[in-house]
Amino acid sequence: MVACRALRSCTGNSFQPSRCLNRKNIRPFTTNYLRHQSQRTQTPTADRETHFGYETVTESEKQQRVAGVFSSVAESYDKMNDFMSLGVHRLWKDHFVSSLNPGATTPLGQPQRILDVAGGTGDIAFRMLQHSNVHNANPNIHITISDINPDMLAVGKQRSLSLPASYQSSISFLEANAELLPFQINDNSLDLYTVSFGIRNFSNIPAALKEAHRVLKPGGVFACLEFSKVDKYPMLNAIYKRWSFSAIPLIGQLVAADRDSYQYLVESIERFPSQEAFRDMIVDAGFAVSGDGFEDLTGGIAAIHKGIKPL
Amino acid sequence: MPVLCRVALRTRIPRATSLVRKTFFSYEHPPSSQPFGTVEDVILSAAYQHVPEHGFSHHSISLGARDTGYLDISPSVLSNGVFSLIRFHLVRQRLNLAYNTEELFDTSEINSAGTSAGSRVAAIAWARLIANKDIIHRWQEALAIMAQPSHVPSSLKELALLSDEILHLAGDKSVDSSWYSKRASLSTTYSASELFMTNDKSAGFADTHAFLMRRLDEATTIEGVFEGLGTWTNFTMNAGINLLRSKGVNI
Amino acid sequence: MAPTVCLARPIRAIPLRNPFCTQSCRSLSTTEPLHSTKKLKPLTKQQCDFLSSALRVNQAGELAATLIYSAQTPPIVRKHPHLRPLMAHMYDQEAGHFKTFNELIHKHRVRPTALYPVWSVLATGLGWSTALMGREAAMACTEAVETEIGDHYNNQIREILEMITQWQEEGYEVSDEIEDLINTLRRIRDEELEHLDHAVDNDAKKAEPHWLLTGVIRAGCRSAIWVSERV
Repeated sequence: MVACRALRSCTGNSFQPSRCLNRKNIRPFTTNYLRHQSQRTQTPTADRETHFGYETVTESEKQQRVAGVFSSVAESYDKMNDFMSLGVHRLWKDHFVSSLNPGATTPLGQPQRILDVAGGTGDIAFRMLQHSNVHNANPNIHITISDINPDMLAVGKQRSLSLPASYQSSISFLEANAELLPFQINDNSLDLYTVSFGIRNFSNIPAALKEAHRVLKPGGVFACLEFSKVDKYPMLNAIYKRWSFSAIPLIGQLVAADRDSYQYLVESIERFPSQEAFRDMIVDAGFAVSGDGFEDLTGGIAAIHKGIKPL
Repeated sequence: MPVLCRVALRTRIPRATSLVRKTFFSYEHPPSSQPFGTVEDVILSAAYQHVPEHGFSHHSISLGARDTGYLDISPSVLSNGVFSLIRFHLVRQRLNLAYNTEELFDTSEINSAGTSAGSRVAAIAWARLIANKDIIHRWQEALAIMAQPSHVPSSLKELALLSDEILHLAGDKSVDSSWYSKRASLSTTYSASELFMTNDKSAGFADTHAFLMRRLDEATTIEGVFEGLGTWTNFTMNAGINLLRSKGVNI
Repeated sequence: MAPTVCLARPIRAIPLRNPFCTQSCRSLSTTEPLHSTKKLKPLTKQQCDFLSSALRVNQAGELAATLIYSAQTPPIVRKHPHLRPLMAHMYDQEAGHFKTFNELIHKHRVRPTALYPVWSVLATGLGWSTALMGREAAMACTEAVETEIGDHYNNQIREILEMITQWQEEGYEVSDEIEDLINTLRRIRDEELEHLDHAVDNDAKKAEPHWLLTGVIRAGCRSAIWVSERV
């Protein structure tokens, strides 16, 4: 019971955005920023209810709270992914990128335009650049890294400085809400839209999928890598659930002194729809899928969903 | 512990699924899903034309995508890459069997049992083998891909569906244990013949045909022996029991 | 046909003789596919799975029933010749049910149970051993088996009726094959319950110990049904 109460208190009242304000590297909750944000990123359904972990909040509130979480974990983001996935996320990301095979064109070296949403730290974008340049000998691709959170983008920008100069010119950064992409990303302008470990934090997933459908060229591919459900293997599921619900928040507290953010991450994974349900959302947004429309990684701890915009 | 309880409540235990998926076939209800999605079907149909020249490869698929106006990135949506193209071939040729079979036999002839079930199975299996002739020089590389651990389940499933289709088209009506033994033996025979065919240089694949016939005969002989053994055991047991009963034993 | 023409044709463009039959054309099967003009909803995967496991378990059940009766008949009839017509009547009905489900299994291309030989041996053993225990025990066996089977058919009928209700609520019609199936199930269930009455009329309740015998057999039936639905 004690544990139960403790858990509830973490997810309940005690999660106040104000707590994040105490951190010195945090900008997002100054009033100026909020006003500025609400003009540009407010979606039409901002008042609707959605989930924040196990809580029910409005969509705009979720946006702010998620911003808080990611601002506070931006710098320890890699560490966090390592804990969540037991270190396997690097393999998943490699597999994700090589299955997309960016830069493979006939004839060689044709241009490709890619948008990596919620890709703040550049994990996926840098891998795609590497794959295209080295594996497919195609330097002619351009990747826009977009993220709603400037702190995550800052981490990515910092990291991109260590890339070769030719790679750096192929990347641009964009602070944007995926549910309402800015006008500089035109309709039917992209070959590939990727979102990796980001979409479960979106307040309005169907709206984000519609936006993806809008900006992709006909024949363009939507690809999503995300934590998913292990329901097919009850044993693995039990172990995984035990790990994520009891160990991860504790590690978050010990390593990053931030239990709430890690608790949110665990709960948001639990809240995210199953493989089939998410596939159906992708189809509802107008994409066509192949086969089941998803591929399980490590028994379903994560899954890759892909959709193609029909001609 | 409460955390675990909560987790346990949330954990949905999926229904046990059968090893070989054979589900209810409806003659009236429209099918709920197609073997391939619309886009997938268009790209793979076009890619399939490039197989004789470029093999079961990414290259064929990207040529297919370009032929149909799709982008270079489009093929990456195919869930199994090159294996999708192989499966396309397997499904296409399996579905084609029903049409080829119509040409092979007259329906009335089947029902009047003019030809034996064995010879019908042989004819349909041969029709399926000969459908590989345009791509047979590429088939060994396809077999290598099918043998990859992640593709083995789907490959075996396709093989099971093929045997089921052949036996069904041949008019086999077994609904007891022989349902399994017939499918298993046909699957083995078929895949052995297919492998034999990849190295067959004879005119019109005559050697493969001979090989197939020989193996089917062997299988029939073995099945016959087992069947005979079963009948004999049954007869002997019944005779024994009746003998005992006639002697007044209370059984 | 030139190979290229064949290759260029997308799968879904194959001109099917029967538009409802895409898994493969079954023009060679004895049952000609029906050209239905009704507005029908595709069967979901769950519904297909349910229908196949239902047909599979029913076939296994009727196989067991025929074997139970054919094993019971000789010892029972020898001691109680007046039961010969009743045993023959019940056996004939069970054999009819078994034939019906064999045909349905073939028609709908459902896999028969993998434990076919196991059920054969167990059913023969059950029939024979209860018959040796006497008329009352044999009838108690019938009573227990038919009670479980009656429940089992009722559950299936209820589930199919739910499917039908759902279709009708959504404005779809009910296909002839499903309607035939539910009528078949109802008829068979009534005949099975009739066997139950015959068993009770013939002193099934006087078997000693009745509760133990029926309890064990019913539990066995339930587990057999559970297993057959799966393998």
